[in-house]
Amino acid sequence: MRTPGEYLRLYFLIEALYIKGRMQYRLDFIISSIGMFVSSLATLGIFWVIFDNVPNIAGWTLMEMVFIYAFYMIAISPMQILFDHAWQLRFHVQQGSFIKYYFRPLNMMFYYMSEMFDIKGLTQLAAGIILLIYASIQLNIDWTLARLALLVMTVFSAALVQISIIVAASCATFWVMDSYPVLGLAWKLREFSPYPMTIFDGAFRFTFTYLIPIGFVAFYPSQLFLRPEEVSPLIYFSPILGMGLFAITYWIWTKGVNSYTGTGA
Amino acid sequence: MRGYLAVVRATYMIGLVYRFGFLFSIFGNIIYLGVAYFLWRSIYQHSETIRGLTFNETFIYIGLGSAMFILLKTYIDWILHYEIREGIIATYLIKPINLGLYMLSGGLGSLLMSLTAITLPTILLLTFVFKVEFTRGPGLILFPLSLLMAFLISFHIDFFIGLLGFYTDSVWGFGTTKDIIVTVFSGALIPLQFFPDAIRNILLWLPFQAIYHTPLMMVTKPDQAWDILLPMLSVQFLWVVVLFAATQLFYNQAIKVLRIGGG
Repeated sequence: MRTPGEYLRLYFLIEALYIKGRMQYRLDFIISSIGMFVSSLATLGIFWVIFDNVPNIAGWTLMEMVFIYAFYMIAISPMQILFDHAWQLRFHVQQGSFIKYYFRPLNMMFYYMSEMFDIKGLTQLAAGIILLIYASIQLNIDWTLARLALLVMTVFSAALVQISIIVAASCATFWVMDSYPVLGLAWKLREFSPYPMTIFDGAFRFTFTYLIPIGFVAFYPSQLFLRPEEVSPLIYFSPILGMGLFAITYWIWTKGVNSYTGTGA
Repeated sequence: MRGYLAVVRATYMIGLVYRFGFLFSIFGNIIYLGVAYFLWRSIYQHSETIRGLTFNETFIYIGLGSAMFILLKTYIDWILHYEIREGIIATYLIKPINLGLYMLSGGLGSLLMSLTAITLPTILLLTFVFKVEFTRGPGLILFPLSLLMAFLISFHIDFFIGLLGFYTDSVWGFGTTKDIIVTVFSGALIPLQFFPDAIRNILLWLPFQAIYHTPLMMVTKPDQAWDILLPMLSVQFLWVVVLFAATQLFYNQAIKVLRIGGG
Protein backbone atom coordinates (compact mmCIF):
# COMPACT_ATOMS: atom_id res chain seq x y z
CA MET A 1 0.00 0.00 0.00
CA ARG A 2 1.14 3.50 -0.80
CA THR A 3 0.55 6.44 1.48
CA PRO A 4 -1.75 9.30 0.47
CA GLY A 5 1.32 11.53 0.26
CA GLU A 6 2.88 9.26 -2.35
CA TYR A 7 -0.33 9.26 -4.34
CA LEU A 8 -0.47 13.04 -4.25
CA ARG A 9 3.12 13.33 -5.50
CA LEU A 10 2.38 10.79 -8.23
CA TYR A 11 -0.75 12.68 -9.22
CA PHE A 12 1.18 15.90 -9.72
CA LEU A 13 3.80 14.07 -11.77
CA ILE A 14 1.19 12.47 -14.02
CA GLU A 15 -0.79 15.68 -14.51
CA ALA A 16 2.32 17.76 -15.19
CA LEU A 17 3.16 15.40 -18.05
CA TYR A 18 -0.43 15.35 -19.25
CA ILE A 19 -0.64 19.14 -19.32
CA LYS A 20 2.69 19.36 -21.13
CA GLY A 21 1.31 16.98 -23.73
CA ARG A 22 -1.92 18.94 -24.11
CA MET A 23 -0.10 22.23 -24.46
CA GLN A 24 1.00 21.11 -27.92
CA TYR A 25 -2.56 21.79 -28.92
CA ARG A 26 -2.85 25.37 -27.75
CA LEU A 27 -5.64 26.21 -30.18
CA ASP A 28 -7.61 23.26 -28.88
CA PHE A 29 -7.31 24.60 -25.34
CA ILE A 30 -8.52 28.04 -26.38
CA ILE A 31 -11.45 26.74 -28.42
CA SER A 32 -12.45 24.23 -25.71
CA SER A 33 -12.36 26.96 -23.09
CA ILE A 34 -14.60 29.10 -25.27
CA GLY A 35 -16.97 26.13 -25.61
CA MET A 36 -17.02 25.64 -21.85
CA PHE A 37 -17.61 29.33 -21.28
CA VAL A 38 -20.45 29.50 -23.81
CA SER A 39 -22.13 26.46 -22.28
CA SER A 40 -22.01 28.10 -18.84
CA LEU A 41 -23.41 31.33 -20.24
CA ALA A 42 -26.25 29.46 -21.96
CA THR A 43 -28.00 28.54 -18.71
CA LEU A 44 -27.64 32.11 -17.45
CA GLY A 45 -29.14 33.26 -20.74
CA ILE A 46 -32.08 30.90 -20.25
CA PHE A 47 -32.64 32.26 -16.71
CA TRP A 48 -32.53 35.77 -18.06
CA VAL A 49 -35.10 34.99 -20.76
CA ILE A 50 -37.43 33.28 -18.26
CA PHE A 51 -37.18 36.16 -15.79
CA ASP A 52 -37.92 38.59 -18.58
CA ASN A 53 -41.44 37.11 -18.45
CA VAL A 54 -42.02 36.25 -14.79
CA PRO A 55 -40.87 37.97 -11.56
CA ASN A 56 -39.75 34.77 -9.80
CA ILE A 57 -39.72 30.97 -9.94
CA ALA A 58 -41.42 29.51 -6.87
CA GLY A 59 -40.49 32.67 -4.98
CA TRP A 60 -36.83 32.70 -6.05
CA THR A 61 -35.54 35.82 -7.78
CA LEU A 62 -33.15 36.01 -10.71
CA MET A 63 -30.18 37.04 -8.56
CA GLU A 64 -30.81 34.20 -6.12
CA MET A 65 -30.92 31.78 -9.05
CA VAL A 66 -27.63 33.24 -10.30
CA PHE A 67 -26.13 32.54 -6.88
CA ILE A 68 -27.37 28.93 -6.93
CA TYR A 69 -26.04 28.51 -10.45
CA ALA A 70 -22.64 29.94 -9.46
CA PHE A 71 -22.50 27.50 -6.55
CA TYR A 72 -23.40 24.72 -8.97
CA MET A 73 -20.63 25.70 -11.41
CA ILE A 74 -18.06 25.56 -8.62
CA ALA A 75 -19.44 22.31 -7.20
CA ILE A 76 -19.37 20.41 -10.50
CA SER A 77 -15.85 21.60 -11.40
CA PRO A 78 -13.94 18.89 -9.47
CA MET A 79 -15.91 16.26 -11.39
CA GLN A 80 -15.21 18.02 -14.68
CA ILE A 81 -11.53 18.58 -13.98
CA LEU A 82 -10.49 15.42 -12.11
CA PHE A 83 -12.97 12.73 -13.22
CA ASP A 84 -13.45 13.57 -16.88
CA HIS A 85 -11.97 10.23 -17.91
CA ALA A 86 -15.22 8.60 -16.71
CA TRP A 87 -16.63 9.46 -20.13
CA GLN A 88 -14.05 7.29 -21.90
CA LEU A 89 -14.63 4.28 -19.66
CA ARG A 90 -17.07 2.58 -22.00
CA PHE A 91 -14.66 2.80 -24.94
CA HIS A 92 -11.83 1.31 -22.90
CA VAL A 93 -14.06 -1.46 -21.58
CA GLN A 94 -15.55 -2.32 -24.97
CA GLN A 95 -12.31 -2.18 -26.92
CA GLY A 96 -10.35 -4.05 -24.29
CA SER A 97 -7.79 -1.33 -23.56
CA PHE A 98 -9.11 -1.21 -20.00
CA ILE A 99 -7.02 -4.28 -19.24
CA LYS A 100 -3.93 -2.13 -18.97
CA TYR A 101 -5.10 -0.58 -15.69
CA TYR A 102 -4.83 -3.95 -13.96
CA PHE A 103 -1.10 -4.11 -14.45
CA ARG A 104 0.18 -1.31 -12.23
CA PRO A 105 0.70 -1.49 -8.47
CA LEU A 106 -1.68 1.46 -8.04
CA ASN A 107 -5.22 2.00 -6.96
CA MET A 108 -7.15 1.42 -10.18
CA MET A 109 -9.63 4.23 -9.84
CA PHE A 110 -6.77 6.61 -9.07
CA TYR A 111 -4.72 5.38 -12.01
CA TYR A 112 -7.62 5.46 -14.43
CA MET A 113 -8.93 8.91 -13.47
CA SER A 114 -5.45 10.44 -13.26
CA GLU A 115 -4.98 9.83 -16.97
CA MET A 116 -7.02 12.89 -17.76
CA PHE A 117 -6.97 16.36 -16.28
CA ASP A 118 -9.54 18.55 -17.91
CA ILE A 119 -7.86 21.92 -18.25
CA LYS A 120 -10.90 23.61 -19.74
CA GLY A 121 -12.82 22.82 -16.54
CA LEU A 122 -10.66 25.45 -14.86
CA THR A 123 -12.46 28.07 -16.99
CA GLN A 124 -15.73 26.89 -15.52
CA LEU A 125 -14.37 27.03 -11.99
CA ALA A 126 -13.05 30.56 -12.50
CA ALA A 127 -16.33 31.70 -14.07
CA GLY A 128 -18.24 30.16 -11.16
CA ILE A 129 -16.14 31.95 -8.57
CA ILE A 130 -16.50 35.32 -10.32
CA LEU A 131 -20.24 34.80 -10.64
CA LEU A 132 -20.56 33.82 -6.97
CA ILE A 133 -18.75 36.99 -5.91
CA TYR A 134 -20.95 39.08 -8.20
CA ALA A 135 -24.18 37.53 -6.90
CA SER A 136 -23.01 37.86 -3.28
CA ILE A 137 -22.40 41.59 -3.77
CA GLN A 138 -25.80 42.04 -5.42
CA LEU A 139 -27.55 40.10 -2.67
CA ASN A 140 -25.57 41.77 0.16
CA ILE A 141 -24.33 38.47 1.54
CA ASP A 142 -21.97 39.07 4.40
CA TRP A 143 -19.09 36.59 4.10
CA THR A 144 -17.91 36.02 7.64
CA LEU A 145 -15.14 33.55 8.33
CA ALA A 146 -17.65 31.03 9.65
CA ARG A 147 -19.69 31.31 6.46
CA LEU A 148 -16.64 30.85 4.29
CA ALA A 149 -15.80 27.69 6.21
CA LEU A 150 -19.37 26.54 5.66
CA LEU A 151 -19.00 27.30 1.95
CA VAL A 152 -15.86 25.21 1.66
CA MET A 153 -17.51 22.34 3.49
CA THR A 154 -20.69 22.42 1.42
CA VAL A 155 -18.82 22.75 -1.89
CA PHE A 156 -16.69 19.77 -0.92
CA SER A 157 -19.77 17.66 -0.14
CA ALA A 158 -21.63 18.81 -3.24
CA ALA A 159 -18.63 18.00 -5.41
CA LEU A 160 -18.50 14.48 -3.95
CA VAL A 161 -22.20 13.96 -4.66
CA GLN A 162 -21.76 15.04 -8.27
CA ILE A 163 -18.62 12.94 -8.77
CA SER A 164 -20.36 9.89 -7.30
CA ILE A 165 -23.40 10.18 -9.57
CA ILE A 166 -21.32 10.48 -12.76
CA VAL A 167 -18.75 7.81 -11.88
CA ALA A 168 -21.44 5.36 -10.73
CA ALA A 169 -23.34 5.94 -14.00
CA SER A 170 -20.20 5.37 -16.06
CA CYS A 171 -19.70 2.03 -14.28
CA ALA A 172 -22.86 0.72 -15.96
CA THR A 173 -20.60 -0.13 -18.87
CA PHE A 174 -19.17 -3.10 -16.92
CA TRP A 175 -22.54 -4.84 -17.12
CA VAL A 176 -24.33 -3.51 -20.20
CA MET A 177 -22.94 -2.99 -23.68
CA ASP A 178 -24.82 0.18 -24.56
CA SER A 179 -24.39 2.08 -21.33
CA TYR A 180 -24.35 5.54 -22.88
CA PRO A 181 -27.99 6.40 -22.01
CA VAL A 182 -27.24 5.80 -18.30
CA LEU A 183 -24.42 8.33 -18.35
CA GLY A 184 -26.50 10.57 -20.61
CA LEU A 185 -29.32 10.60 -18.06
CA ALA A 186 -26.93 11.31 -15.18
CA TRP A 187 -25.53 14.18 -17.21
CA LYS A 188 -28.97 15.53 -17.98
CA LEU A 189 -30.06 15.29 -14.33
CA ARG A 190 -27.06 17.46 -13.47
CA GLU A 191 -28.68 20.28 -15.45
CA PHE A 192 -31.68 20.27 -13.12
CA SER A 193 -29.70 20.76 -9.93
CA PRO A 194 -29.57 24.58 -10.08
CA TYR A 195 -33.38 24.81 -9.96
CA PRO A 196 -35.25 25.25 -6.67
CA MET A 197 -36.16 21.77 -5.44
CA THR A 198 -39.33 23.30 -4.01
CA ILE A 199 -40.90 23.32 -7.48
CA PHE A 200 -41.06 19.54 -7.43
CA ASP A 201 -43.81 17.47 -5.85
CA GLY A 202 -43.89 14.08 -4.21
CA ALA A 203 -41.91 11.40 -5.98
CA PHE A 204 -39.66 13.82 -7.83
CA ARG A 205 -38.64 15.80 -4.77
CA PHE A 206 -38.10 12.58 -2.84
CA THR A 207 -35.90 11.17 -5.64
CA PHE A 208 -33.82 14.31 -6.00
CA THR A 209 -33.37 14.61 -2.23
CA TYR A 210 -32.80 11.02 -1.15
CA LEU A 211 -32.29 8.64 -4.09
CA ILE A 212 -30.31 10.62 -6.67
CA PRO A 213 -29.58 13.59 -4.44
CA ILE A 214 -28.93 16.26 -7.07
CA GLY A 215 -30.63 18.71 -4.69
CA PHE A 216 -27.44 18.57 -2.63
CA VAL A 217 -25.29 19.65 -5.58
CA ALA A 218 -26.53 23.24 -5.51
CA PHE A 219 -29.95 24.09 -4.19
CA TYR A 220 -29.92 22.85 -0.57
CA PRO A 221 -26.40 24.12 0.19
CA SER A 222 -27.18 27.50 -1.46
CA GLN A 223 -30.22 27.86 0.79
CA LEU A 224 -27.81 28.01 3.72
CA PHE A 225 -26.44 31.31 2.43
CA LEU A 226 -29.54 32.76 0.80
CA ARG A 227 -32.34 31.87 3.19
CA PRO A 228 -30.86 30.22 6.27
CA GLU A 229 -34.25 30.33 7.98
CA GLU A 230 -35.81 27.96 5.42
CA VAL A 231 -33.04 25.42 5.40
CA SER A 232 -33.71 21.82 6.31
CA PRO A 233 -31.47 20.39 9.07
CA LEU A 234 -30.59 17.61 6.63
CA ILE A 235 -28.05 19.88 4.97
CA TYR A 236 -25.71 19.60 7.96
CA PHE A 237 -25.36 15.92 7.15
CA SER A 238 -24.22 16.63 3.61
CA PRO A 239 -20.54 15.79 4.23
CA ILE A 240 -21.66 12.37 5.45
CA LEU A 241 -23.94 12.06 2.43
CA GLY A 242 -21.13 13.04 0.06
CA MET A 243 -18.65 10.62 1.53
CA GLY A 244 -21.24 7.87 1.86
CA LEU A 245 -22.22 8.20 -1.78
CA PHE A 246 -18.61 8.16 -2.84
CA ALA A 247 -18.06 5.01 -0.81
CA ILE A 248 -21.02 3.36 -2.57
CA THR A 249 -19.68 4.47 -5.94
CA TYR A 250 -16.26 3.09 -5.09
CA TRP A 251 -17.88 -0.19 -4.15
CA ILE A 252 -19.74 -0.30 -7.49
CA TRP A 253 -16.50 0.48 -9.31
CA THR A 254 -14.68 -2.32 -7.47
CA LYS A 255 -17.48 -4.76 -8.30
CA GLY A 256 -17.31 -3.74 -11.95
CA VAL A 257 -13.55 -3.95 -12.14
CA ASN A 258 -13.59 -7.41 -10.59
CA SER A 259 -16.25 -8.71 -12.95
CA TYR A 260 -14.53 -7.42 -16.08
CA THR A 261 -13.15 -10.23 -18.17
CA GLY A 262 -11.57 -8.26 -20.99
CA THR A 263 -12.29 -8.71 -24.66
CA GLY A 264 -9.62 -11.28 -25.35
CA ALA A 265 -7.75 -8.90 -27.60
CA MET B 1 -29.58 4.61 -54.54
CA ARG B 2 -30.13 1.05 -53.33
CA GLY B 3 -26.73 1.13 -51.67
CA TYR B 4 -27.71 4.14 -49.61
CA LEU B 5 -31.00 2.53 -48.62
CA ALA B 6 -28.99 -0.42 -47.31
CA VAL B 7 -27.05 2.00 -45.11
CA VAL B 8 -30.31 3.48 -43.78
CA ARG B 9 -31.55 -0.01 -43.00
CA ALA B 10 -28.27 -1.12 -41.43
CA THR B 11 -28.11 1.89 -39.09
CA TYR B 12 -31.68 1.25 -38.04
CA MET B 13 -30.84 -2.37 -37.30
CA ILE B 14 -27.76 -1.37 -35.26
CA GLY B 15 -30.11 0.72 -33.13
CA LEU B 16 -32.31 -2.32 -32.57
CA VAL B 17 -29.38 -4.38 -31.25
CA TYR B 18 -28.97 -2.03 -28.32
CA ARG B 19 -32.28 -2.70 -26.65
CA PHE B 20 -31.16 -1.73 -23.19
CA GLY B 21 -30.17 1.72 -24.36
CA PHE B 22 -33.49 1.98 -26.12
CA LEU B 23 -35.50 1.24 -22.98
CA PHE B 24 -33.31 3.39 -20.79
CA SER B 25 -33.69 6.36 -23.15
CA ILE B 26 -37.46 6.14 -22.78
CA PHE B 27 -37.05 6.05 -19.00
CA GLY B 28 -34.74 9.06 -19.16
CA ASN B 29 -37.23 10.94 -21.26
CA ILE B 30 -40.04 10.30 -18.75
CA ILE B 31 -37.91 11.85 -16.01
CA TYR B 32 -37.06 14.77 -18.24
CA LEU B 33 -40.72 15.35 -19.07
CA GLY B 34 -41.57 15.24 -15.35
CA VAL B 35 -38.94 17.80 -14.49
CA ALA B 36 -39.98 20.05 -17.36
CA TYR B 37 -43.60 19.75 -16.22
CA PHE B 38 -42.82 20.97 -12.71
CA LEU B 39 -40.48 23.69 -13.85
CA TRP B 40 -42.92 25.18 -16.34
CA ARG B 41 -45.83 24.79 -13.99
CA SER B 42 -44.01 26.98 -11.49
CA ILE B 43 -43.21 29.51 -14.20
CA TYR B 44 -46.89 29.60 -15.16
CA GLN B 45 -47.94 30.28 -11.55
CA HIS B 46 -47.95 33.96 -12.35
CA SER B 47 -50.27 34.02 -15.35
CA GLU B 48 -52.45 31.85 -17.57
CA THR B 49 -50.68 32.75 -20.78
CA ILE B 50 -47.18 34.09 -21.35
CA ARG B 51 -46.48 35.78 -24.67
CA GLY B 52 -49.56 34.20 -26.19
CA LEU B 53 -48.68 30.65 -25.13
CA THR B 54 -50.71 28.68 -22.59
CA PHE B 55 -49.09 26.19 -20.22
CA ASN B 56 -50.51 23.35 -22.31
CA GLU B 57 -48.93 24.73 -25.50
CA THR B 58 -45.58 25.43 -23.87
CA PHE B 59 -45.49 21.94 -22.38
CA ILE B 60 -46.19 20.32 -25.76
CA TYR B 61 -43.47 22.51 -27.21
CA ILE B 62 -40.91 21.59 -24.53
CA GLY B 63 -41.86 17.91 -24.38
CA LEU B 64 -41.78 17.33 -28.12
CA GLY B 65 -38.72 19.55 -28.32
CA SER B 66 -36.81 17.23 -26.01
CA ALA B 67 -37.79 14.23 -28.11
CA MET B 68 -36.79 16.05 -31.29
CA PHE B 69 -33.49 16.89 -29.69
CA ILE B 70 -32.60 13.20 -29.52
CA LEU B 71 -34.04 12.70 -32.99
CA LEU B 72 -31.94 15.40 -34.62
CA LYS B 73 -28.75 14.61 -32.76
CA THR B 74 -26.96 12.57 -35.41
CA TYR B 75 -23.45 12.91 -33.93
CA ILE B 76 -22.26 13.27 -37.53
CA ASP B 77 -19.79 15.97 -36.46
CA TRP B 78 -18.13 13.65 -33.92
CA ILE B 79 -18.24 10.59 -36.20
CA LEU B 80 -16.81 12.42 -39.18
CA HIS B 81 -14.09 13.99 -37.10
CA TYR B 82 -13.16 10.61 -35.62
CA GLU B 83 -13.02 9.03 -39.06
CA ILE B 84 -10.83 11.81 -40.42
CA ARG B 85 -8.44 11.57 -37.49
CA GLU B 86 -8.16 7.78 -37.64
CA GLY B 87 -7.88 7.76 -41.42
CA ILE B 88 -11.02 5.62 -41.80
CA ILE B 89 -12.26 8.30 -44.18
CA ALA B 90 -9.97 6.85 -46.86
CA THR B 91 -12.06 3.70 -47.05
CA TYR B 92 -15.06 5.81 -48.12
CA LEU B 93 -13.12 7.87 -50.60
CA ILE B 94 -11.99 4.82 -52.60
CA LYS B 95 -15.57 3.58 -52.92
CA PRO B 96 -17.94 4.90 -55.59
CA ILE B 97 -20.08 6.72 -53.05
CA ASN B 98 -20.79 10.32 -52.18
CA LEU B 99 -19.56 10.89 -48.63
CA GLY B 100 -22.28 13.42 -47.82
CA LEU B 101 -25.04 11.12 -49.03
CA TYR B 102 -23.49 8.19 -47.21
CA MET B 103 -23.43 10.12 -43.93
CA LEU B 104 -26.95 11.37 -44.57
CA SER B 105 -28.17 7.79 -45.02
CA GLY B 106 -26.62 6.80 -41.71
CA GLY B 107 -28.26 9.80 -40.09
CA LEU B 108 -31.64 8.89 -41.60
CA GLY B 109 -31.33 5.38 -40.19
CA SER B 110 -30.82 6.66 -36.67
CA LEU B 111 -33.55 9.26 -37.24
CA LEU B 112 -36.03 6.47 -38.01
CA MET B 113 -34.76 4.57 -34.99
CA SER B 114 -35.30 7.49 -32.61
CA LEU B 115 -38.64 8.21 -34.22
CA THR B 116 -39.93 4.80 -33.16
CA ALA B 117 -37.96 4.64 -29.91
CA ILE B 118 -38.32 8.16 -28.55
CA THR B 119 -40.71 10.41 -30.45
CA LEU B 120 -43.73 8.11 -30.61
CA PRO B 121 -43.48 7.06 -26.93
CA THR B 122 -43.13 10.74 -25.99
CA ILE B 123 -46.29 11.67 -27.87
CA LEU B 124 -48.10 8.79 -26.15
CA LEU B 125 -46.77 9.89 -22.76
CA LEU B 126 -47.80 13.48 -23.35
CA THR B 127 -51.28 12.40 -24.36
CA PHE B 128 -51.99 9.72 -21.79
CA VAL B 129 -49.83 10.48 -18.76
CA PHE B 130 -49.60 14.26 -18.84
CA LYS B 131 -53.02 14.59 -20.48
CA VAL B 132 -52.11 17.45 -22.77
CA GLU B 133 -54.56 18.35 -25.50
CA PHE B 134 -53.31 18.69 -29.03
CA THR B 135 -55.05 21.35 -31.10
CA ARG B 136 -56.04 20.21 -34.60
CA GLY B 137 -55.21 22.19 -37.71
CA PRO B 138 -53.31 22.23 -41.00
CA GLY B 139 -50.02 22.61 -39.16
CA LEU B 140 -50.18 18.96 -38.11
CA ILE B 141 -50.21 17.88 -41.76
CA LEU B 142 -47.14 20.00 -42.49
CA PHE B 143 -45.27 18.79 -39.42
CA PRO B 144 -43.65 15.66 -40.97
CA LEU B 145 -42.33 17.69 -43.90
CA SER B 146 -41.14 20.41 -41.55
CA LEU B 147 -39.44 17.82 -39.36
CA LEU B 148 -37.63 16.33 -42.36
CA MET B 149 -36.33 19.74 -43.38
CA ALA B 150 -35.30 20.44 -39.79
CA PHE B 151 -33.31 17.21 -39.93
CA LEU B 152 -31.62 18.25 -43.18
CA ILE B 153 -30.66 21.65 -41.75
CA SER B 154 -29.34 20.11 -38.55
CA PHE B 155 -27.46 17.46 -40.54
CA HIS B 156 -25.73 20.00 -42.74
CA ILE B 157 -24.64 22.12 -39.79
CA ASP B 158 -23.20 19.00 -38.10
CA PHE B 159 -21.54 17.89 -41.33
CA PHE B 160 -19.99 21.31 -41.74
CA ILE B 161 -18.56 21.19 -38.20
CA GLY B 162 -17.34 17.64 -38.81
CA LEU B 163 -15.48 18.80 -41.93
CA LEU B 164 -13.48 21.15 -39.71
CA GLY B 165 -11.77 17.92 -38.65
CA PHE B 166 -9.71 18.19 -41.85
CA TYR B 167 -8.09 21.32 -40.44
CA THR B 168 -8.11 21.03 -36.65
CA ASP B 169 -8.21 18.53 -33.82
CA SER B 170 -10.38 20.76 -31.62
CA VAL B 171 -13.71 19.20 -32.38
CA TRP B 172 -14.79 19.27 -28.71
CA GLY B 173 -14.71 23.06 -28.59
CA PHE B 174 -16.34 23.59 -31.97
CA GLY B 175 -18.90 20.84 -31.41
CA THR B 176 -19.90 22.05 -27.96
CA THR B 177 -20.10 25.69 -28.98
CA LYS B 178 -22.21 24.72 -31.99
CA ASP B 179 -24.49 22.52 -29.83
CA ILE B 180 -25.08 25.32 -27.34
CA ILE B 181 -25.71 27.94 -30.03
CA VAL B 182 -28.13 25.63 -31.80
CA THR B 183 -30.05 24.65 -28.65
CA VAL B 184 -30.41 28.18 -27.29
CA PHE B 185 -30.96 30.10 -30.53
CA SER B 186 -33.24 27.52 -32.13
CA GLY B 187 -35.79 27.68 -29.35
CA ALA B 188 -35.13 24.07 -28.33
CA LEU B 189 -35.06 24.94 -24.62
CA ILE B 190 -37.46 27.87 -24.53
CA PRO B 191 -40.00 28.88 -27.17
CA LEU B 192 -38.69 31.87 -29.13
CA GLN B 193 -41.78 33.87 -28.09
CA PHE B 194 -40.27 34.17 -24.60
CA PHE B 195 -37.21 36.04 -25.85
CA PRO B 196 -37.21 39.86 -25.71
CA ASP B 197 -38.48 41.27 -29.02
CA ALA B 198 -35.16 42.72 -30.20
CA ILE B 199 -33.36 39.41 -29.76
CA ARG B 200 -36.19 37.35 -31.23
CA ASN B 201 -36.18 39.48 -34.38
CA ILE B 202 -32.50 38.67 -34.87
CA LEU B 203 -32.98 34.96 -34.14
CA LEU B 204 -35.72 34.67 -36.75
CA TRP B 205 -33.15 35.60 -39.39
CA LEU B 206 -30.79 32.78 -38.41
CA PRO B 207 -31.01 29.17 -39.65
CA PHE B 208 -31.30 27.72 -36.13
CA GLN B 209 -34.94 28.67 -35.58
CA ALA B 210 -35.82 26.53 -38.61
CA ILE B 211 -34.57 23.45 -36.73
CA TYR B 212 -36.79 23.47 -33.63
CA HIS B 213 -39.00 26.52 -33.57
CA THR B 214 -40.69 26.00 -36.96
CA PRO B 215 -41.67 22.32 -36.63
CA LEU B 216 -42.65 22.76 -32.98
CA MET B 217 -44.88 25.72 -33.84
CA MET B 218 -46.60 23.52 -36.43
CA VAL B 219 -47.70 21.26 -33.56
CA THR B 220 -48.31 23.77 -30.76
CA LYS B 221 -50.18 26.28 -32.91
CA PRO B 222 -51.43 24.21 -35.85
CA ASP B 223 -54.62 26.21 -36.36
CA GLN B 224 -52.91 29.17 -38.01
CA ALA B 225 -53.76 30.34 -41.52
CA TRP B 226 -51.98 28.78 -44.52
CA ASP B 227 -50.42 32.10 -45.36
CA ILE B 228 -48.57 32.01 -42.04
CA LEU B 229 -47.65 28.33 -42.14
CA LEU B 230 -46.46 28.10 -45.75
CA PRO B 231 -43.94 30.98 -45.53
CA MET B 232 -42.48 29.29 -42.43
CA LEU B 233 -42.00 26.14 -44.48
CA SER B 234 -40.47 28.10 -47.37
CA VAL B 235 -37.92 29.69 -45.05
CA GLN B 236 -36.95 26.21 -43.89
CA PHE B 237 -36.56 25.07 -47.50
CA LEU B 238 -34.40 28.09 -48.26
CA TRP B 239 -32.08 27.20 -45.37
CA VAL B 240 -31.82 23.60 -46.57
CA VAL B 241 -30.67 24.85 -49.98
CA VAL B 242 -28.25 27.44 -48.59
CA LEU B 243 -26.65 25.07 -46.10
CA PHE B 244 -26.43 22.27 -48.66
CA ALA B 245 -24.57 24.59 -51.02
CA ALA B 246 -22.29 25.80 -48.23
CA THR B 247 -21.30 22.29 -47.10
CA GLN B 248 -20.70 21.16 -50.70
CA LEU B 249 -18.37 24.10 -51.31
CA PHE B 250 -16.58 23.52 -48.03
CA TYR B 251 -16.30 19.77 -48.68
CA ASN B 252 -14.70 20.33 -52.07
CA GLN B 253 -12.13 22.61 -50.44
CA ALA B 254 -11.53 20.51 -47.34
CA ILE B 255 -11.01 17.20 -49.13
CA LYS B 256 -7.94 18.66 -50.84
CA VAL B 257 -6.01 19.12 -47.59
CA LEU B 258 -6.46 15.49 -46.52
CA ARG B 259 -3.23 13.59 -45.93
CA ILE B 260 -3.33 10.10 -44.54
CA GLY B 261 -0.10 8.59 -43.29
CA GLY B 262 -0.09 4.93 -44.31
CA GLY B 263 -2.95 2.74 -43.18
